[in-house]
Amino acid sequence: MTAAAALAAAPALVVFAYGLATALATGLGAVPFAFVRRISPRAVAVANAVAAGLMLGACFGLAAEGTRYGAWQTIAGANLGVLFILGTQRWLGRHEVRFGAAGGVEARRMALMVVVMTVHSFAEGVAVGAAFGGGAELATVITIAIAVHNVPEGLAISAVLRPRGVSLAACAGWSVFSSLPQPLMAVPAFLFVEAFRPALPWGLGFAAGAMVFMVFVELLPEAYEDAPRPAIGLLATLTLVAMLLFQRYL
Amino acid sequence: MDLTLGLALTVLAWSALSAAAGALGVLPPAAFGRGGRALPTAWIGWANALAAGMMLAAAYLLAEAGLAGPALPAALGAALGALAIFASHAVPRPAAPAPAERPRDRLARGRTSVLTGALHSASEGVAIGVAMAVDLRFGIFLALAIAVHNIPEATVLCAALTGRGRRLPAAAALAVAADVPQVPLAVGAFALASAAPAALPWVQGFAVGALVNLVLTELMPDSYREAGHTSIALVASVAMGIVVLLRGLAP
Repeated sequence: MTAAAALAAAPALVVFAYGLATALATGLGAVPFAFVRRISPRAVAVANAVAAGLMLGACFGLAAEGTRYGAWQTIAGANLGVLFILGTQRWLGRHEVRFGAAGGVEARRMALMVVVMTVHSFAEGVAVGAAFGGGAELATVITIAIAVHNVPEGLAISAVLRPRGVSLAACAGWSVFSSLPQPLMAVPAFLFVEAFRPALPWGLGFAAGAMVFMVFVELLPEAYEDAPRPAIGLLATLTLVAMLLFQRYL
Repeated sequence: MDLTLGLALTVLAWSALSAAAGALGVLPPAAFGRGGRALPTAWIGWANALAAGMMLAAAYLLAEAGLAGPALPAALGAALGALAIFASHAVPRPAAPAPAERPRDRLARGRTSVLTGALHSASEGVAIGVAMAVDLRFGIFLALAIAVHNIPEATVLCAALTGRGRRLPAAAALAVAADVPQVPLAVGAFALASAAPAALPWVQGFAVGALVNLVLTELMPDSYREAGHTSIALVASVAMGIVVLLRGLAP
């Protein structure tokens, strides 16, 4: 059965299955860490710089997509995203958080990273579902594109979790978890495209704002602590450029 | 021909204005006296965070324009721009002067910090010129963003130089002079991008890479040292949003 025929027969199920496949692809982002043995403070800084570049590059893409639907809604959404992360950070600060073997500041940072990436998947799920509405023949192409695009996001999550002692399997697990909102949101967004479309710039902006704020408030300051700043700057910039190129060709 | 000349003069005027903004930055050290020890510094962090947000937004808008065209030359140009900023940091950064340092060494290190400032200013000039070639209003905006960054930069440089034994008028003059290279480079980059449209993706990319790396290597780490992480992150991300919004609303 072709994708088009399956989509015609049981559309919601197909959108869900495709969304799930993209979520599983996020777990592949943990794979590079199977080849890294020793993790020094400097390696943590380097991983933070890579994650910062990936996230800033992803934000550029989200903002470009969002402003196409509505400029002020995107920016209003972005400010809400900033406030949401600020609130989450405060809330985590007041509670004792444990993440794997870690506690205290490290655990809070990891929890915040998972929250940020999971929240941003809601908006992406809506984008996937809405795009599915564009035409059945595009479904496979869109799914592959989103799946590949999820891998660096898993890489960003693993780059924050793995150096802090989270196991490889758990890194992959949290990466997949962070993308689960994609299949969950894709289905209603696909079924009720017209109702969801006005919310899209808000959601995309929210995701972009949350990620930019996370980069500025957690990832960068920590990266500068353990490695020379020209190295951090160069690495994050080149990663950002690679991410932009990657998004352009997918 | 006359039109191009007029545009080049506009570039000259705005980049000169942006460079001259550094003069405002030497006022606080002048008011607070030698060494600038008693200087309140949180505003330096916020000003740098504001400039960082504006410059990142400018890089985003430039990248969006650049990616619409041939993406590979733009990406290679961006890598070159990032490397140019990296190379300019091969010159050692000014650190707190060691007490036992001889006056002559201190002056030599003061010279290298002026040189570093001049190198950064040069890449900022390239970004202004390229932005002007893409869109005049956009270029003017970027010149203003860089002016916002030039003010605290001159304050820090001036304070560092007086701390190394320079007299205040000389330190103030050097701190402002470090911004001068951005003027000829803005005009040169504008002329190159206008005269050879084939080179536009390259220079566009160069400007993006240089701006992003400048923000990440210099503005952000500097601002974290002067004020709390949360306030810095707020100023930078909200500034970024406002700039993208203004651009989106512009006709």
